[in-house]
Amino acid sequence: MRYAIIGSSAAGISAVEAIRSKDKEAAITVISDEKTPLYSRCLISYLLAGTIDKDKIWIRPDNFFKKNKVEAILGVRAEKIDTESKEVRLENREKIRFDRLLIATGSSPKLEDIPGKDKKRVFPLRTLGHAVEIQSVLDKVKSVAVLGGGLIGLRAAYALKSRGKDVSVFVRSPQILSQIIDKESAGIMQRHIEKKGIKIFTGRSAKEIKGKDSVEGLVLDNGSNIDCQLVVVGKGVSPNIETAKEAGIKTNWGIVVDQFLKTSDDNIFAAGDVSESYDIALEEKTINAIWPVACEQGRAAGLNMSGENQVYDGTLAMNSIEFFGLPVISIGITRPKKDIYKEIVRKNLDKNVYKKIVLRDNIIVGAVFVNAIEQIGVIGALIKNKVNIKDAEDIVLEDYFDYGKIVNIIKDSKGAFKQKEFTETIMTA
Amino acid sequence: MKKIYCDIKKCLGCGSCEIACAVEHSRSKTLDIAIKEELLPIKRRKAQFIDKGRAISTGCHHCEDAACVTACMSAAMYKDKKTGQTMHDADKCIGCWMCIMSCPFGALTRERQEKVIVKCDLCPDRDVLALPAGRPACVEACHTKALFLGTLEEFKVRT
Repeated sequence: MRYAIIGSSAAGISAVEAIRSKDKEAAITVISDEKTPLYSRCLISYLLAGTIDKDKIWIRPDNFFKKNKVEAILGVRAEKIDTESKEVRLENREKIRFDRLLIATGSSPKLEDIPGKDKKRVFPLRTLGHAVEIQSVLDKVKSVAVLGGGLIGLRAAYALKSRGKDVSVFVRSPQILSQIIDKESAGIMQRHIEKKGIKIFTGRSAKEIKGKDSVEGLVLDNGSNIDCQLVVVGKGVSPNIETAKEAGIKTNWGIVVDQFLKTSDDNIFAAGDVSESYDIALEEKTINAIWPVACEQGRAAGLNMSGENQVYDGTLAMNSIEFFGLPVISIGITRPKKDIYKEIVRKNLDKNVYKKIVLRDNIIVGAVFVNAIEQIGVIGALIKNKVNIKDAEDIVLEDYFDYGKIVNIIKDSKGAFKQKEFTETIMTA
Repeated sequence: MKKIYCDIKKCLGCGSCEIACAVEHSRSKTLDIAIKEELLPIKRRKAQFIDKGRAISTGCHHCEDAACVTACMSAAMYKDKKTGQTMHDADKCIGCWMCIMSCPFGALTRERQEKVIVKCDLCPDRDVLALPAGRPACVEACHTKALFLGTLEEFKVRT
């Protein structure tokens, strides 16, 4: 059996480990367009902030490929997939044959189509390379404009503020973190971030990036001018589906996969940011481009590629963010758009505490917790296992809520909570 | 694997396990000195009420397929291949709280000064997994013997 994996971040690495756990000898080839993979993409903003050194961003030892007997082709792009001859063609014309292929090509930052975007010192923040490039120009920079108020935009803003820069964030939506949390929790986060000296302008976007060769300023949609020497674009990501699409593999927003992470081609799997798969809360296929999902899917895909029949239950949107000591965690649906959903909120704004759950037919499908975050994982268990919490609805947002309070729910659910550790804890209940 | 189980039929919810845990993770390992330490020690176990009269002492369950390990974006959380224990490397932890987000037991706590996670580490100073007579602080402190260190099979046939 010959395995090929395109991509070497969370999903690709997890797949290598899964395949090796089943098959010690088969040939595995990993192709990555990055020269130095094996780092955590989520940590690059911490590197930029100076919170961690470069030696802390590696998530596997540098002998990882050798130890797992992987042929690693690094710094080379996979250009074409031939599903008939089962070959991946690389940009250097080399061909890699496979019996099973995993596409874990991830996603790319969306670069706004804005005049001036090709000037020097305009960067996305997606790869280690971007972080290093931004670092290298920082001594020429006094003021920074961040375009986008999502996770990456704000992480970049936080990092550059930590580096002593004057930072302004321009957010087209009426709130920050609009893909992740609801308006009220976003307001709490925004006020906290602004107090620490980052300027945030919601409902505002840039119309033009000005400067000769390098960035010198922005023109905003209201016509006003902003001085800045660095622009970071954090406008979200889009999945890298082109090679799959050209190969005739079924794509929609991402590469469509079934519950085994298999694509429309029996020999080809997809995992991570590029895969469009069933979402437990939404109950439809979507992309959840987050680290834990990439790891889970990479592992499940790897196991299934090596002959297992492991059903992947589905993804769940999940994010954990902290700025200047104020954390927020969200799981599942946080901004319900239809009236079939019900919301329950508890808050103590003096303490920056906000908790909300979103329910559909007495089942929790989403949660946002600000500051008091410790027990949100227990809510996550209720979301994942889809139990009716009609009788417990009042207590899940209380301060005293904890695992003990769901012991009876788990017991009464008669096996809905499949993870064996749940069964172990209720054995004596 | 060997880990800590709680017998709900015996647990009173008295909190002795919490105190013993915090003291074990203090610098002095002595209650009356520990409460005066500059950085107050943090308990990794909580006595939680289920309903009127019933309680459970909850900590890290060292899950076989641990969601916190999968979610950890800095590789600080990992499984010890030999013991099956879920380990945490505080040097690698960057305080992103992804593990809190994913732990179905709510068994992780923030250490806010150092900005790292703390969780049940099965009392490394007591070497409980290697020494036959070794017991974690919480198990030793449990008055009703609700807390138990051993394998699942041993827990099932305990006396």
